[in-house]
Amino acid sequence: MTKMSDRLKIVFMLCVAFVTTGGQHFESKVAQLLQDETEDIKCFVELKDLTCFWEEEEERNDLQYTFTYSYENKNKMACVVSSLSLLASNKTVFFCKLPKTPFFTTLDVQVFRDGRMLYSRSLNAENYLFLDPPRNLTVLSSGKEGQLNVSWLPPLLKYMDDSMIYEVRYAVEGSNMGKVEVIKVSTMLVLLGLQSDTRYKVWVRVKPDGVAYKGYWSAWTEPVLGVTQPSDLDPLIMVLVLFIGLILCLLSMTVILSHHKFLLKKLWPDIPTPEHKFPGLFTVYKGDFKEWMSQNNSSMWGRSVQVYTEELPSPLEVLSEVSLTSHGTSQREERKPVEEDEEKESERSDSGLTDRWREPPQAHWLMEQLRALQENPQSLSQSLLVQSHDTYVTLNQNSQGDGEREVDDVFEETLPLQTLFTTTGTTSLSTSHSDLGSLQQSSGSGRLSSQSSFEYPNQTWPPKGPGYTYMAVADSGVSMDYSPMSSSRITELGRHRMYTNDYKNEIFLHKWPLFGEHNKSGSESCMGPVW
Amino acid sequence: MQTFFGLVSVLIVFVWLGGKQVFPLQPICDLRVLDHFVREARDSVVIMRGSRGGCGAMKSYFVPLTSVDFAFWEHIDVQELAVEVQTGLSLLVQALSTAMKAVSNSRLANALDNNISNIHSLSQILHSLDLQHARSTVLPDDSAPASTQTQEVSSLPELLQVQSSFLRGKVRLLLSAAPACQRQNS
Repeated sequence: MTKMSDRLKIVFMLCVAFVTTGGQHFESKVAQLLQDETEDIKCFVELKDLTCFWEEEEERNDLQYTFTYSYENKNKMACVVSSLSLLASNKTVFFCKLPKTPFFTTLDVQVFRDGRMLYSRSLNAENYLFLDPPRNLTVLSSGKEGQLNVSWLPPLLKYMDDSMIYEVRYAVEGSNMGKVEVIKVSTMLVLLGLQSDTRYKVWVRVKPDGVAYKGYWSAWTEPVLGVTQPSDLDPLIMVLVLFIGLILCLLSMTVILSHHKFLLKKLWPDIPTPEHKFPGLFTVYKGDFKEWMSQNNSSMWGRSVQVYTEELPSPLEVLSEVSLTSHGTSQREERKPVEEDEEKESERSDSGLTDRWREPPQAHWLMEQLRALQENPQSLSQSLLVQSHDTYVTLNQNSQGDGEREVDDVFEETLPLQTLFTTTGTTSLSTSHSDLGSLQQSSGSGRLSSQSSFEYPNQTWPPKGPGYTYMAVADSGVSMDYSPMSSSRITELGRHRMYTNDYKNEIFLHKWPLFGEHNKSGSESCMGPVW
Repeated sequence: MQTFFGLVSVLIVFVWLGGKQVFPLQPICDLRVLDHFVREARDSVVIMRGSRGGCGAMKSYFVPLTSVDFAFWEHIDVQELAVEVQTGLSLLVQALSTAMKAVSNSRLANALDNNISNIHSLSQILHSLDLQHARSTVLPDDSAPASTQTQEVSSLPELLQVQSSFLRGKVRLLLSAAPACQRQNS
């Protein structure tokens, strides 16, 4: 007897427990739909049974209501109405559970009160599934950092496992900011991108996917805690790594500082400048070479070899020599303005050829000299005065014979020709430089008229031919570039010493018939050698 | 002569094999195919609601019953269900063809035509499940009377609703419960 009573009690307790659990779920669903659903008569399917309920404010007896339903043109069937008091909201609802709920067909439900129809609704039961939450939610730490393995079981429903969609919500414990992941069909998920060594709360809920079945979101499961793996980096290791890094930095800094000059030279090499060879050119004269030359002219001669090493030596050919009364002044003459020359011309003309070739001679004077040469070729000495009407070149004497000449072969070879020239009837060359650059001043006339005139005695050459020919050329090969109208190129250096000057020598044609054969209009070539 | 006899023997072998169905179809158990058809049936409903005169002429269509209750699901008779499904699909094809001719909207007509071809594909899928008994007993006047198996609807919206319910209910249940698919899943 006692055993039987005990068994009955156990069964009763289980039934109560089952009912209460079911009731709790049921009650929570009813409460939720009361808030969310807008229809007067609210229906949902729980555990394959359709439940329709409605709210009533006034105190009513459930016996007053009549619930009928029909489908597929069948006769109406009645359903028993029950009442439920919601403890949370202190409301009363009346509901009816259809015993055999037909799915995939249109149901017509009606609620009557005291013979009058209160509510009516047509619905398909499969569209209002209200599932229970997923079961057995577990959260485990995966082997990797910042990850959690979440798994659960679907609610108990046959043939519906592949029609479910789940939502996983997770947040740091104590925080309200959560993230949501949606997953279809599968009942497990790996959460990524989590903080290491942190406690997380995880919830899951389920809903039909909406293709074959539709419904409401289930309630969230109870939260389950999971802890992510701590980070791999040990603090001690981090400290050691930092320490070693610091030491390496210090070492590299020391090396760099000790060899900074070398490294700087390698990385940022200095751009070579010729400043050391041109003292004051860039600092005082700001690159004005002419100015610099004029200032340093006298002092430069001693180092002219060094200065003009890059320049092409201008070959000269000595055409003839003219004997001079006095020697020792075979230096280059500085060019002077025409005005100054004219003043001294009278002196020149009297003395005849002098070795001071400063002033450019006049035409008639030169003519006289040439005639003198013609008549007395022997009078030619080593020195040769080659003077043109407008332009002439003062050449350094060679070392042959004359000691007072301070000519040396090196000098001869390396020094460029100095051109002293003025243009007739045009602007005179005001520069006093016998520099190559001074030729550009001749461009005022447009051409180097009578630029080049040279003595070319056609007959005799001094027996002691110095071995070179004097030649009055307006410019050297380099300087000719400055002149727009003329250009000369040193075609050949060395033995032949040929000069090619492409400029017109009109005056030559007019006034120097003697040289007609040599002076051609338009071009002039200075040929050598003499000996 | 010898070659002739050889050819004849080969032919006989082939005929025998064809009769024996030595090469059965692979069962198509993926429910996503059915879900695709269900979605397209729903599209027809949407197009119909959006088009003028979508309801078409008021005609009566004989359509299958669609209701399924879970109690029935607990004790499913696959063979019986297969018969129901095959019959219902043929009825739906007839009704949809009749409705397509009466519809003036070309877009809706195309959608209905698509539904018809989907139902034909479903028949092929069911054939792949090797439901032998179903094939042999697919006769309208066999077993249950036709009236109990059909219902009458009077408009195109109702017809499309029946089609959607039938596909989602009975056809889906049959695909889930078919033995060939059960063997695959287990």
